[in-house]
Amino acid sequence: MLDYKKDSKLALLILKNLNFLILLYVTCVISYCLKGIIHESSGLSFINKITNLPLAYWKFPIIIISLYISELFLMSLNKLNMFQNIIRLCFEIIITFLIVYLIGFSYTGIILLVLAVSIDFIPKFKWRVPLLIGFCLIYLVSEYIILSLNSEIITFNVFIEYFQNDTRLILTGILNILSSLNLLIFLIYIILVVRSEYDEKEYILSLNEKLNNANEELQEANTQLEEYSKEIVKMTETRERNRLAREIHDTLGHTLTGIITGLEACTALIDVAPEATKIQLKSIIEVASQGMTDVRRSVSALRPDRLDKFDLKKAIIKMVSEMRDVTNADINLEINSELKNFSNEEEDVIFRIIQESITNSIRHGKADQINIVIDTQNNYLQINIKDNGIGCKKIEKGFGLHHMQERLNLLKGQLYFNGDNGFLVNAKVPIRMAEADT
Amino acid sequence: MRTWISNHRNLVCLGGSIIFFLIAVLTYLDSKPLNQTNNTLTVGVFTDSFWNIQNGNTYKILDASIAKLKEENPNIEVTYETGILKKDYSEWLFQKLIQEDGPDLFFILPDDFNKLVELNALEDLTSVIDLQEEGFTDSFYSSALSSGEYENNQYALPYECAPKLMFVNQTLLDKEGIPLPSENWTWDDFYKICNQVTKDTDNDGTIDQFGYVGYDYEDAFNSNNVELFSENGHACNLTEDRVIESLEFLEKLKNININVSDKDFDLGTVAFQPMSFSEFRAYQPYPLSLKKYENFDWGCLLMPRGPSGNNVSGLECLQIGINSKTKNFLPAWELMKILTSDPEIQKQIFDYSEGVSVLKSVTEKDETLGNLIESSNSPLTQEILSHSVENAVTAPRFSNYSLAKIQVDQAIDTIINSNENLESSLIQWNRTINQSLKNDYVDQID
Repeated sequence: MLDYKKDSKLALLILKNLNFLILLYVTCVISYCLKGIIHESSGLSFINKITNLPLAYWKFPIIIISLYISELFLMSLNKLNMFQNIIRLCFEIIITFLIVYLIGFSYTGIILLVLAVSIDFIPKFKWRVPLLIGFCLIYLVSEYIILSLNSEIITFNVFIEYFQNDTRLILTGILNILSSLNLLIFLIYIILVVRSEYDEKEYILSLNEKLNNANEELQEANTQLEEYSKEIVKMTETRERNRLAREIHDTLGHTLTGIITGLEACTALIDVAPEATKIQLKSIIEVASQGMTDVRRSVSALRPDRLDKFDLKKAIIKMVSEMRDVTNADINLEINSELKNFSNEEEDVIFRIIQESITNSIRHGKADQINIVIDTQNNYLQINIKDNGIGCKKIEKGFGLHHMQERLNLLKGQLYFNGDNGFLVNAKVPIRMAEADT
Repeated sequence: MRTWISNHRNLVCLGGSIIFFLIAVLTYLDSKPLNQTNNTLTVGVFTDSFWNIQNGNTYKILDASIAKLKEENPNIEVTYETGILKKDYSEWLFQKLIQEDGPDLFFILPDDFNKLVELNALEDLTSVIDLQEEGFTDSFYSSALSSGEYENNQYALPYECAPKLMFVNQTLLDKEGIPLPSENWTWDDFYKICNQVTKDTDNDGTIDQFGYVGYDYEDAFNSNNVELFSENGHACNLTEDRVIESLEFLEKLKNININVSDKDFDLGTVAFQPMSFSEFRAYQPYPLSLKKYENFDWGCLLMPRGPSGNNVSGLECLQIGINSKTKNFLPAWELMKILTSDPEIQKQIFDYSEGVSVLKSVTEKDETLGNLIESSNSPLTQEILSHSVENAVTAPRFSNYSLAKIQVDQAIDTIINSNENLESSLIQWNRTINQSLKNDYVDQID
């Protein structure tokens, strides 16, 4: 793709140089003829062939080449906006017309050069089709223009009538060859431009395709990830179930086995030796108590035991009053919510946050005043715990805070804390209908 | 510097473009090749007389005019190239014009006028003339003035002119007992006299005394009020009645006039020959000019008039024009005005040249001319001469006149020398010429 662009630039450069060469050729021949006409005193016969006085012979090369260089400079202007481009084009057309007019329409290929240069910005120009057609028409009818302006202009052929017939043929031949070459290079340039534009489009299309492929792959990966996550949830569930099964087997199974065996012995002994049965029953009670303790212990690993006995609100009140009794801190509790309809997990989290915060305030903050406010706002339960302790300039997420945050996140809640002035914990738990398993 | 250029690339390009465009414009506008300063006026003039008569007084009138110009404008330098012969003058002038080095002010030969206007080489003087004091144009002979007119614009002013006159061999007429014709004589008078004098005087079987020589179709057309071309030069009127009348008259004349040449008039055996007034001036032995015709007395008459015309003839006129590319228009105009309309300068035409002044007042009052005419014993007077200049016919002015004229010459020559029906061949020729006029003589040019 880049190659075509490079080649088209080269073609344009050749086109510019070729036009320079042609103009130089035409003006030099004209100058030479004029000088010869004067030198050989054939002014009268020359005058009879023309209807307008020509420029002085020395002026032709200077004026034409200056105009052409001026035009080349105009063509080198770049990074122009559409409006500036159109103005530039107008000036180029004016200069081109001047050149073509001054050399008596002997050579009109320079129109093609202007077209070639303008093609760069024409694709972005909404009147490009009429403009292109107009250009081509001008080029095509330039021969006709010569005829219609016949009385005004002196053509190349009139000038070179100064020469003998064979020389004249050679001179016109050279001009025709150069003109054709100009046309040929113009065509090559146009083909290159069209090719490079075509390739650019192709390249963009291929990029698009790649993007689409990548998108599809991403989609696939996403689906896979979702499946993985589901699997992981399942695996976790299974593991937890296994653990529970083991726990039940290890504690309850063991205890119940003991109790059953003991009770079977008792049924055999009760009539024979009632005293021994009593002793046996006492030991069974011990085993059962022990089993009870074991069950409690394993369950408590999962759940605060107070919550088993009380509803959440009472449990919190009890926990706070116990803390008040055990420590010397002044703890104010204000609950503006029923705290109903929370799932067990949610209750756990709420309870643990309050318990942990009080513990932190007393243990790390050395606070003696703690205010706890619980209320509902916009479908959120807001928990505000503020103390007057030393706070914490640099909050290190100890296990407690980290744990809190993790658990809240699971419930789609938010945690905010600030240790600048005392310590402030603010937790938001979304309220929804409790799950069926409560 | 290099980075500045690359940063301001567009600015540099725009600047370069403007600079080169200005170079082109300035080169285009500079019409003088360098070495001439603005207060030097150049004049194009030829060295010998317009009337083909060497008199050694070529630059006298011009020098006097320049001196007069310098009296009022001492800063002006006037130069002119000497030694250009009249036959080379057109070539010289056109060469100068091709080089854009034409003189600011130049004399215009009648044949060059149309071409010069067509080439836009002449400044249009109409607006300047309108600014002159009242009576400026009226002081000229209107015919002379109209020689410089092209499509209703004045491109040149007349400098000197000469009407065609009929030279008459008075000795021959006396011998035959024929009185001099009157000033408003007719074609019939002309034919009668010619018929009467044409004879074999020494009875050797060949006619040796003739009626006229050199009377051509133009003389006949002019005196029969023929307007051969429409004013814009787009049509030729060869078929009109006055043309037919003239050609019939010419055929009639031709029948009595065989084997006669200009030389015969010099020998004194021809009664009439149309000649320019300048010839009259040149050969009239007053005060010191050479005497060409020694063996007979001769005088001048107006041309005989045709049935539809007057005693008028063609007018040759030397004119002066200003280069359209001049940078010294005002001084050039001043000098031109002195040359053409200053009575003192115009008076010198009668002293140093052979033409007639283009100013009515000068021609009618000039003493030199008066003495000259008086001494010639011809029926001509200053008033009649003045009248004939005023009413003279000037050549048509349109771009292809010279080519059309060649065709008309050819047509008339063919018609008179053939026995074909006059009217039908005129129609044929008229069609051919009109066709060429319509096609702008493109084929002939190529």
